[in-house]
Amino acid sequence: MSLFGEIAEVAARELKIMAKRPIYVAASVITMAFCTFFFLTFLGKGLPEDLPIGVVDLDGSSISRRFARELDASRLGKTVHYPDFVQARNDMQKGRINAFIVLPAGLNEDVMAYRRPVISYYVNSLYFVGGALAYKQALTMATLSSAAVQREVLRAKGMDEDKIMGMLQPIVIDAHQIGNATTSYQTTLCNMLIPGMLQMIAILLTIYCLGTELKYRTSRKLLELSGGSFGAAIIGKLIPLTVLMLMLGWLCDLLLYHWLHFPVAGSIWNIFLGTTMLVLASEALGIFILGCLPVLRDAISVGSLASMLSLSLTGFTLPVEVMPAPFTGLTCVFPLRHYYLFFIQEGIHATGFGGWYVQLLCFMAFLFLPLLVWRRLKNAYIRQDYPQN
Amino acid sequence: MGNRKATYLGTWIKEVYAIFASEMKRIFLDRGVCIIFFLAGLGYPLLYNFMYCNGTLDEMPIAVVDLADCADSRAYLRKVNDTREVRIKYHCASMEEARRLMEKRKIHGIVLIPSDYAHRLAAGEQATISTYADMSSLLYYKSLTMATNYAMLDEIREIQLERYAAAGTVGEQACQLVEAIPYEENIPYNNAFSYTIFFIPAVLILLIQQTMFYGGTMLAGTMREEGDSPFMLGSGKGAGGVIRVMAGRGLAYFVIYMVLGIYITIITPCVFGQPVNGRFGDLLLLLVFYVLACIMFTFTVSSFFRKRETVFVTLLFLSPVAILLSGFSWPTSAFPWYWRAFSYLFPSTFGIQGYLNVNTAGCDLQMAGPQMMGLSIQIMVYFVLACLNLYLEGRQIAKHSRDAE
Repeated sequence: MSLFGEIAEVAARELKIMAKRPIYVAASVITMAFCTFFFLTFLGKGLPEDLPIGVVDLDGSSISRRFARELDASRLGKTVHYPDFVQARNDMQKGRINAFIVLPAGLNEDVMAYRRPVISYYVNSLYFVGGALAYKQALTMATLSSAAVQREVLRAKGMDEDKIMGMLQPIVIDAHQIGNATTSYQTTLCNMLIPGMLQMIAILLTIYCLGTELKYRTSRKLLELSGGSFGAAIIGKLIPLTVLMLMLGWLCDLLLYHWLHFPVAGSIWNIFLGTTMLVLASEALGIFILGCLPVLRDAISVGSLASMLSLSLTGFTLPVEVMPAPFTGLTCVFPLRHYYLFFIQEGIHATGFGGWYVQLLCFMAFLFLPLLVWRRLKNAYIRQDYPQN
Repeated sequence: MGNRKATYLGTWIKEVYAIFASEMKRIFLDRGVCIIFFLAGLGYPLLYNFMYCNGTLDEMPIAVVDLADCADSRAYLRKVNDTREVRIKYHCASMEEARRLMEKRKIHGIVLIPSDYAHRLAAGEQATISTYADMSSLLYYKSLTMATNYAMLDEIREIQLERYAAAGTVGEQACQLVEAIPYEENIPYNNAFSYTIFFIPAVLILLIQQTMFYGGTMLAGTMREEGDSPFMLGSGKGAGGVIRVMAGRGLAYFVIYMVLGIYITIITPCVFGQPVNGRFGDLLLLLVFYVLACIMFTFTVSSFFRKRETVFVTLLFLSPVAILLSGFSWPTSAFPWYWRAFSYLFPSTFGIQGYLNVNTAGCDLQMAGPQMMGLSIQIMVYFVLACLNLYLEGRQIAKHSRDAE
């Protein structure tokens, strides 16, 4: 039989196995569907709204009440009233509110008399996104209240409104966010978490798909079917899985960048290419792990630990350059890191091939990884001399 | 056990001890489980602590395009450069040049000062500065925003003071106008918004749940694969046997995870100089509740797995999901109601919140009441569910053996 015929036979056998074992569908389609649904609905509109921010109003005057009202009316904040400092502090310590602002007694009078009363705010930065945004809100409110007083004075002096704005805020910052104009957390996180899940599934299912032959001692039968060719056996086994993973990956790309209009500066075709390379490189990494540890349970444990670690090491949350030097090197062993760099070039800067050819080469380097363990894995398939469990 | 003098309690303890010992043996003889429990349990805390030892992005390289090139713009840029967050690495002649630097990832932000900057300031109009942030990580954006805004606020103050001085208002009187209501900033638990202080505790607490969950489920799957079942461990029939199995196996996990838990939550933070603001007794009690909830959770979920590897292949995705559900990053107030309800299924939700509040924010245990309550409810509910599953499994096994006869 020709090599292609053998590959086709192995692939047909693999399809039968897939149909018999629901785990393939559960682990790929259902997992991806759940994760995509989760990340897209959980992060909602991309920016949290109505963060609970406490106000301890010790003054109870028209100024302090207006302050609380304006905080409540802002998009980010929702006012929670507290009668005293201790209760507000306790609630912040418990994580119930992200921040609180203390308006001192005599605020109104002091403002009127130019005695410069001090507003204090307290921020709980342990709950990160809520804390950072509440801090921004508190800072804005504090500076705005000073500006409001100044505006009243200037108005009373008869200055016209244009001049007043020039006086109150002589410098304005016009901020542009390249690649994510609305500063959406959803965009940033989904762009990497969804491919991260794809990488995880590809690594685990590759290990599972090839490792079960060892576990159930069916590898010799498989080699018989492929006419003794180890290459044909591996390729035939991986074809159905690869097709499944690629379809899932492309579907996610379509969902994010076409149907949901996540910002992508370059071409979606190049993103498809990136996803394809991510899937292939992850499968190659899976083969490599199984080749090093040709026992299903060990390989799958190591594969799991590695794919979780790679989410942190990609650098889309804490940038890699902040990490100590040894980790900078370690990041390169995960395909997701290269996908991240690829995506920055294509999705944010739209540089095209010139910007990401290095990442393409890195992805290709992954494809040579199985060769390093080829002989070892082949022997394991023939001799079946590793423990089953 | 044939000893007639043995009391009921004595037999009970003996049997529980036997189950405990056999479970311990099973754990330590299984290489896959050891990798998960000990390699991950002992190694990950070190790895993550090293990896995140610098939690803040300081001196991020940026480029400036100063088309005004005047004293005012230089003063502003000096202030930007003096912030902790950014460092001006390149002065570019055009936006095109700066953009290319950003594409090459040499810089992560651009500040553009237009040519009419000085002119507008002199005329008393509003001058605009444009900033361009690399959004490939939100921390780049945060650093650029904070640096340019701090510098702006400071510069605005100086410009206002200058203008009031020109109009004849100086000293305290000018300050009263420029900053009528000064503010005082307090960021008590994590002053620099460090990634280390908020992220590491969450990851480490999650690690306890996830390693136990995957390892324990893998072990239960292995037993079933071998035609065995956790139920078969007990010699007692019916409900009594179920409780003994739960107690014996639970004790094994409890002993291992209390040791790992103390290592993870108390020893490593001390070694790496992470904040430990809670009282030792409070932390320990919280840990006991959390570990118990994790054990019962693991027992309940593991009832559904018949094969050893299935849990990794099907449920590994829960790790990033569970950590987001704890609300340590994305605020719980912004959760859709269904995800908030879903989050109560995981012990990590209460564990992470409780640990952050007690350990880092320095709450006492009374203030962590809602979390302790949540964990207690989970312990009870999952205990009942796990017992029920075990009992049903026992009946099924009994039925099978009857059928076989």
